[in-house]
Amino acid sequence: MIPLGHYVLLSAFLFCVGLFGVLTQRNAIRFLISIEIMLNGANINLVAFNRYFGASDATGQVFALFVIGVAAAASVVGLVLVIAVYRLRKSVFIDDFNLLKW
Amino acid sequence: MVKLAHWISVLPFMAFWLNIMFGRKLGKLSAFISVGTSVMAALLAVLVCMGFMAGGSSYALTGWLTVNGQPITLGIIIDSLTVMMLLVVTIVGTLIQIYSIGYMSGDPRYSRFFAYISLFMASMLGLLLADNLLLLYIFWEGVGLCSCLLVAFWYEKPAAAAAGVKAFVTTRVGDTGLLLGILILLSLGNTLHFADMASVKGPESLVALAAVLIFLGAMGKSAQFPLHTWLPDAMEGPTAVSALIHAATMVAAGVYLVARLYGFFLAHPLALQMVACVGMISALMAASIACVTNDIKRILAYSTISQLGLMMLALGTGGYTGGTFHLMTHAFFKALLFLGAGSVIHAAHTQDIRAMGGLFTKMKMTSVTFIIGALALAGIMPFSGFWSKDEIFCAVWHHGNMWFFAALIATSFMTAFYMARLVLLAFFGASRLEKDVHESPLVMTGPLVVLAAFSAGLGLLGSPWCHGAFQHFIQAKDEAIGLNVPMAICSTMVSLSGIMGAYMIVVRNVKFPTWTWLKKMAVNKYYVDELYEVVFVRPFQRICVVSAVFDGACIDRAVNDVGRVVGACGQAVRRIQTGMIDRYLLVQAGGVLMLLVFILGKVCRIF
Amino acid sequence: MTETVFYIIAVSLCVFAVLSVTVKDVFHSAVWLALALLSVAGIFLSLDAAFLGVIQVLVYVGGIMTLFIFAIKLTARIGDRSIRQVSQQSVCGGIVSAGIFGVFLIIIYANQWNDMMLPPGQGIGLNGLGKALLTTYALPFEFISVLLLAALVGAIVIGKVKQ
Repeated sequence: MIPLGHYVLLSAFLFCVGLFGVLTQRNAIRFLISIEIMLNGANINLVAFNRYFGASDATGQVFALFVIGVAAAASVVGLVLVIAVYRLRKSVFIDDFNLLKW
Repeated sequence: MVKLAHWISVLPFMAFWLNIMFGRKLGKLSAFISVGTSVMAALLAVLVCMGFMAGGSSYALTGWLTVNGQPITLGIIIDSLTVMMLLVVTIVGTLIQIYSIGYMSGDPRYSRFFAYISLFMASMLGLLLADNLLLLYIFWEGVGLCSCLLVAFWYEKPAAAAAGVKAFVTTRVGDTGLLLGILILLSLGNTLHFADMASVKGPESLVALAAVLIFLGAMGKSAQFPLHTWLPDAMEGPTAVSALIHAATMVAAGVYLVARLYGFFLAHPLALQMVACVGMISALMAASIACVTNDIKRILAYSTISQLGLMMLALGTGGYTGGTFHLMTHAFFKALLFLGAGSVIHAAHTQDIRAMGGLFTKMKMTSVTFIIGALALAGIMPFSGFWSKDEIFCAVWHHGNMWFFAALIATSFMTAFYMARLVLLAFFGASRLEKDVHESPLVMTGPLVVLAAFSAGLGLLGSPWCHGAFQHFIQAKDEAIGLNVPMAICSTMVSLSGIMGAYMIVVRNVKFPTWTWLKKMAVNKYYVDELYEVVFVRPFQRICVVSAVFDGACIDRAVNDVGRVVGACGQAVRRIQTGMIDRYLLVQAGGVLMLLVFILGKVCRIF
Repeated sequence: MTETVFYIIAVSLCVFAVLSVTVKDVFHSAVWLALALLSVAGIFLSLDAAFLGVIQVLVYVGGIMTLFIFAIKLTARIGDRSIRQVSQQSVCGGIVSAGIFGVFLIIIYANQWNDMMLPPGQGIGLNGLGKALLTTYALPFEFISVLLLAALVGAIVIGKVKQ
C-alpha cells in the first residue's frame, strides 16, 4: 500500500520544482509552464488528502476541479498578455518587461 | 421716489457682472450695457433729487452689525450734498462712457474696460450713498481698486503697470489712516453714522487724532500734498479714465469726505487747520509745477491737484459752500478738459504741447469746447469756474488769514497762466505736427459739447441772477453768500493778468527775469518723488535685499537641504524598487520561506 | 501491482517536471510538460479520482497544452537555443526552492504521514463529486464559469491587434 506521505512528498517536490522554474526562468512562457507544474503539485495534494481523510466528502476533488478551471483562465490570460507584450517589445523575456522600472 | 436711491449703485454693479462674465460674447454690446445702466442711474438720480426736494429723507435698507454697542446699518443717506454729487457723478460718468465708446473702439479689452468702468461707477455711487463711515470705507476701497485696475489698463506698458501700483500703494497710505480713524472712533464707542458724527464723545486728543487720520484718507484719495505723487503718474491710463476717475469723481471723494464730515471737522479746529494748510500747499505747489510741464495730461493732472487743494483750502477756512460748489463745477469743466485732451491725443498721437500747435483750425469742435473749459478753470466770467472760485475767495477773505489769501491769489494767477499757455501752445500758432489731424467722431465730440454747456452755464446756479439757488440748496450756514463785487473784480483781474502773462511769454516771446532755481524746482516737481525714493524706496529696497539674502541663505537653503536629504534617501533605496518581476518573485518566495521557518520554529518551540 | 505502477509514474513525473523546467528549448519544455500532466492524470487514477484524471487529460493536455504550443509558435524567435533562458538569480532561486522543500519534508515527517495507509472503499466517486458540485459548491461553480467567461473576453480584448 502507498502511504499518504509519498503522495505529499511527490506534490511537495513538484511544487518546489515549479517554484524553482518560476524563480529562475527568463522566458515568460516557461514561466507559465512552471506555474502549471506548481498548480498540479497542489492538486495532487488536494486529491490525496481528500482520499485519505474524507470518506464521504468531495471537497478536495471539487477544489482540484476549481483549480484546474482557474489555471485554465490564468494561462489563457497570461499567454495573451505574453503575446501582446511580444508585439509591443519584440521579446518574451521578463527582464525586458521593465516598463515599471524606476 | 427717494427709496429707489440704492438702485443707483446697484444698476452699474449689475452691468459690471454682465460685462465681466459675458464680455467676450457681448463685444460691442457691453458698452451699451454700461452706458444704459449709467443713463438709468442718472435718471434715478434726477428722481431722487426731485424726491429730496419734496422732502424725502435718508433711510436704512437693513441692520448690519453691532460694534462696541453701536448698531451700524446698511443705510442710504439723502441730503443736499449726496444728491448734488449723485447728479454730478451720474451725468459726468454717462457722458464719459459715451465718449469712451469712441475713444476705446478697437481696444482688445473693450468689454473689460466697460466692466471696470461700471464697477467704478457702482463703487463711487455707493460711496456717495453710504450713510456711515464703515460702509463708505468699503466703497472707498472699491474706487481705489478700480483706479488701480484702470490706470494699469494697458498693462503691457511697463509705465502703466507701475503707475497702477503707485496709485494703489500711495492711496493705501491714506486709506490706512482712514481705517485707523474709523477704528479709533469705534473703540471710543462712537456711532459711525454721519448724521450723528458732529457730536463725537471721547478724549479730545484722541478724537482730534481720529479727525486728522480720517483727513489723511482724504489726502490720499484727493492727491493732496504729500500723497499727491500718484496722480500725475496715473495719467498713463486711458484718457477717459483720467477724466472720470482722476478729475471728476474719485479724486473728489476726499473733498466729499471732508464735506460729509464737516460738522465733525468744525468741532476740531486743529484738523480743520490742517485741511486748510494741506490744501494751500497742494494748490500752490501743483499749480507751479503745472506752469512748467509740457505733457498735456500732466498739466491737467497737476491742475486737478491744485483745484482740489483750493477746495480743501475753502473747506478748511469755513467755506463749505465754496468748497462744494467748486467740487461740482470742477467735475464738469475738468472732465471736459480731459476729454478734450483725449480728443487731441487721439488725433495728434502725442501728449507734448510743444509738438502740437495750430489745432484750432483743424479741430474746431474740440478746440472751442476745450477753450470754454479752460476759461471756466481760469475763472473768467461768466463761466462756472468764476462763480465757484468767487465763493472760495469770499470764504478765505472772511477767514482773515492773509497767507491763505495770498496763496489763493497766487494759485489763481498760475491757474490762468498755465491754462492760457496750454491753449496758446496747443491750439494756436503754426502747426508743428508732422501729419494731418482730423476732428474726432461725433460720439466723442457730442459729450464734449454737453460738458461744455454744463461748464459754461452751471455757475449761474450760484449767481445772483438765480438768487443763490445753489447756496440755498446746499443749506450752507456760512455767511459768505452772494456775489461780492470787489472780490469778483479782484479775482478777474488776477486771472486776466495770468492770461496776459502767458500771452507775453508764448506769443510775444518776452523774456521775464525768472528765478531759475524756482523754475528748476518746479520742473523737477519739487523733488518729492526723489525724496520718497531716498526716504522710503531705497531703504525698503535695501531691506528687501537683506531679506532676500536671508531667504536664500537660511530659509531656501533649509528647504533645499531637506529636499536633498530626501533625494539621497531615495537614491539609496531605489535599488529595491527594480521594477523587475523576477526579482520581486524571488523576494516574495524568500519571504514565504522565512515565514514558514518562523512558524515551524514556533510550533517546535525553538524560538 | 498498483504500487509498482504508482512509483513508476511518480518517478517519471518528477523527471518530466525537472526536464520541463531545465531543458533549453521552449518547445521541448512544453512537450515535457505535456508528459508530466499526463502522469498527474495517472496519479489521480491511483487515488480513485477517475473523473479528475479524465478532466486533467481533457483540459490540460487537450486544451492548455495546445495553447502553449500556439503561444510558443507565435513568439517564434525565442525558441532559439542561443538565447540564455535562465536569469541571473538561478542560484538564489535554487536555494529558496530547496529551503521550502526542506520545510515541507520536515512537516511531512513530523506529521507521520508516512504511516498513514489508504482507507478501504472506493472513494466518493463521480456520483458524490457531481452532487457536491451542484449542491454545496453550486455558487463557486457558477463563479468559476463567470471567471472563465471574463478570461475569454479579456483574452480577446488584449490579444486584438489595434489599428
